[in-house]
Amino acid sequence: MRDPPPGETLAALLRLAGLRDCREEGGGVVYCRAGAGEGIRAAARLHEDSGCRLTTCLAYDYRLVDGSFHVVYVFDCPRLGRYIDIDIAVSDSSIDSLAAVLETMQCKWCEWEIRDLYGIGFRGHPGRGRLVLPDSWPEDYHPLRKDAPSRPPRLERPARRRARGPGLPLGPYHPALHEPEYFELEVEGERVKGVRYRGFFVYRGIEKLAEDRFRAEQVPFLAERICGICGFVHSTTYCMAFERAVGIEVPERAKYLRSMLLEIERIHSHLLCTAVMLHAAGYDTGFMQLMAVREEVMSVAEELTGNRKTYSANTPGGVRIDPDDSLVREAVERVSRAAEKAVKLARSFLEVSEVYTRLEGVGVLGRRDAWRHGALGPVARASGIDVDVRRDHPYAAYGSLEFEVPVRDEGDCLARYLLRLDEVLESASILRQIARSIPRGPVVNRDYDYAELRVGQAASEAPRGECIHYVITGVSGRLWRWKVRAPSYNNIPLLELMLKGYLVADAPVIISSIDPCFSCTDRLIRVKRVG
Amino acid sequence: MPRRSLWVYHVNTGGCNGCDIELLAALSPLYDPERFGVRLVESPRHADAFVLSGPVTLQSLPSVVEAFRVGRPEAVIALGSCACGGGIWHDSAAVLGGIDPLLDLLEEEGIPRPRVIRVPGCPPRPHSILYGVAVLLGYAEPKAAKLLAEARRAARI
Repeated sequence: MRDPPPGETLAALLRLAGLRDCREEGGGVVYCRAGAGEGIRAAARLHEDSGCRLTTCLAYDYRLVDGSFHVVYVFDCPRLGRYIDIDIAVSDSSIDSLAAVLETMQCKWCEWEIRDLYGIGFRGHPGRGRLVLPDSWPEDYHPLRKDAPSRPPRLERPARRRARGPGLPLGPYHPALHEPEYFELEVEGERVKGVRYRGFFVYRGIEKLAEDRFRAEQVPFLAERICGICGFVHSTTYCMAFERAVGIEVPERAKYLRSMLLEIERIHSHLLCTAVMLHAAGYDTGFMQLMAVREEVMSVAEELTGNRKTYSANTPGGVRIDPDDSLVREAVERVSRAAEKAVKLARSFLEVSEVYTRLEGVGVLGRRDAWRHGALGPVARASGIDVDVRRDHPYAAYGSLEFEVPVRDEGDCLARYLLRLDEVLESASILRQIARSIPRGPVVNRDYDYAELRVGQAASEAPRGECIHYVITGVSGRLWRWKVRAPSYNNIPLLELMLKGYLVADAPVIISSIDPCFSCTDRLIRVKRVG
Repeated sequence: MPRRSLWVYHVNTGGCNGCDIELLAALSPLYDPERFGVRLVESPRHADAFVLSGPVTLQSLPSVVEAFRVGRPEAVIALGSCACGGGIWHDSAAVLGGIDPLLDLLEEEGIPRPRVIRVPGCPPRPHSILYGVAVLLGYAEPKAAKLLAEARRAARI
């Protein structure tokens, strides 16, 4: 952890932003309440000049409790090791837009999503039409309002989508994209001049399902199905948020086991991403070889948890697996060896000049844009931004493990490729430390009482960046609100900046270089159009 | 279906990615589906069979219908619990709920019903995906049909 610069303390920061009603809770999250005008001014000040940045915003329907909706702006202050939440009560169902002030992508998207799902108006918001919900969705049905029925009163079949302009369509089913997403590229000759994105094809209504149908301790089952690649990240982050809300102490051994599975997941996810980048660059030999090495990691995950995707290993209070020491040692050794072999292979592919030239200098994201628009994870670190939740806001066992955070300055596809390889090696070293130092003891603490209407927020470093879960416990063992903000949610809008000015043929490489996870991003709703 | 090379087209209808990366894993040399002549193709027009993953979200529905209209596949491999029957999303307002309602809908549109092979699992392992392919090509027997028949005999239905 780095020391905060002199004079830059939490109290000074809150004074600067003009926030008075604040309380700090476990996990380094500072919850502040503010009125509408005061809250937006404070948010703008925090984002612009304090070393903090807006990472996301969310809303919850508290009309049954205090008569109003609430909008929460979440700020990440890596230097102070804190998150600052500005919670604004919205009484007349509309509020001034922060996106209109900041003009940043992450803010535009999260306010837009709130408008779709809650029907809260943001005055001055630049977005037109729908972001998340399908076009045929009834105008007056906002699924996350507490008085909305689980199914809308009527639902028409969406009409066939047609290109809106002379743009070049890419997707939703395209050989280089493995998930449905739709980009419309405005081109001049072979150059991309503009991008329109339409995503949220994977809106499955997860948050609504969780609030309606699931008990809080069953939600990890749903959380890990947000995404088939980083499922364990989502279930861990949900469990941490719930544990903070209710006040559950997690045994040390469970924390180490969580870290271990998280790192195994990071390794297989990064190998998948680099393999898919090579595939997009037209080098299928590399794709096949990396996928073959990656199978070793998957089979280790299966031996540890009984499932190649580590599903069902998490539960509030700890984990549901307790491998013995020799299994842990052997698993770590096999994964680390596979990781080192894969990195060696992946680096050697760069000697193929066709691969190198497809990646180098392509899709550059500048440092300033990356910071302002909320780039996360490897995308941010490849553009010179030194953030990593594992170091800045330690969770699980990361506080007691030693590791480096690789950072590169170039900001192009090659930097993102190489950075992921460095991270795979770091993960292998973390795994070896875990195998050496994992403590003995119980793996789960089920001795807790459910508490109603408590707030918990947790963040973790998913393979793609910071993943945030926000939980409000409800009555009779259910959740009042569960908000998931996956890292790709912040990174996907940045593609607009990355694609502009490059060749159409580079688009699949650039898109796969941010390792977009559309199923994470889309979670609950569906989207219509951007830009 | 005659025993010949099988060209498949992959349609993710809003799945979580789990099935899709298992499909990618199944395509790797370790499992080598090319020994059955399986190739992933880039256009639905070239495909003999579709691999369908995900619970068919409403947002993806128009594009999925379009792919079937263009491709007219002989067979569909429904990959994973979601595609087989909607999975845990089966009663969400935002999804159609798997292959069966989709095929009904396609029939209304005048698209002939393809043969369906179900590969359940969350996600299915690459081995199961290969088994599904083998069933489709006639190298193996479907498992559930036999079990179901036995269960029916036992229950005398």
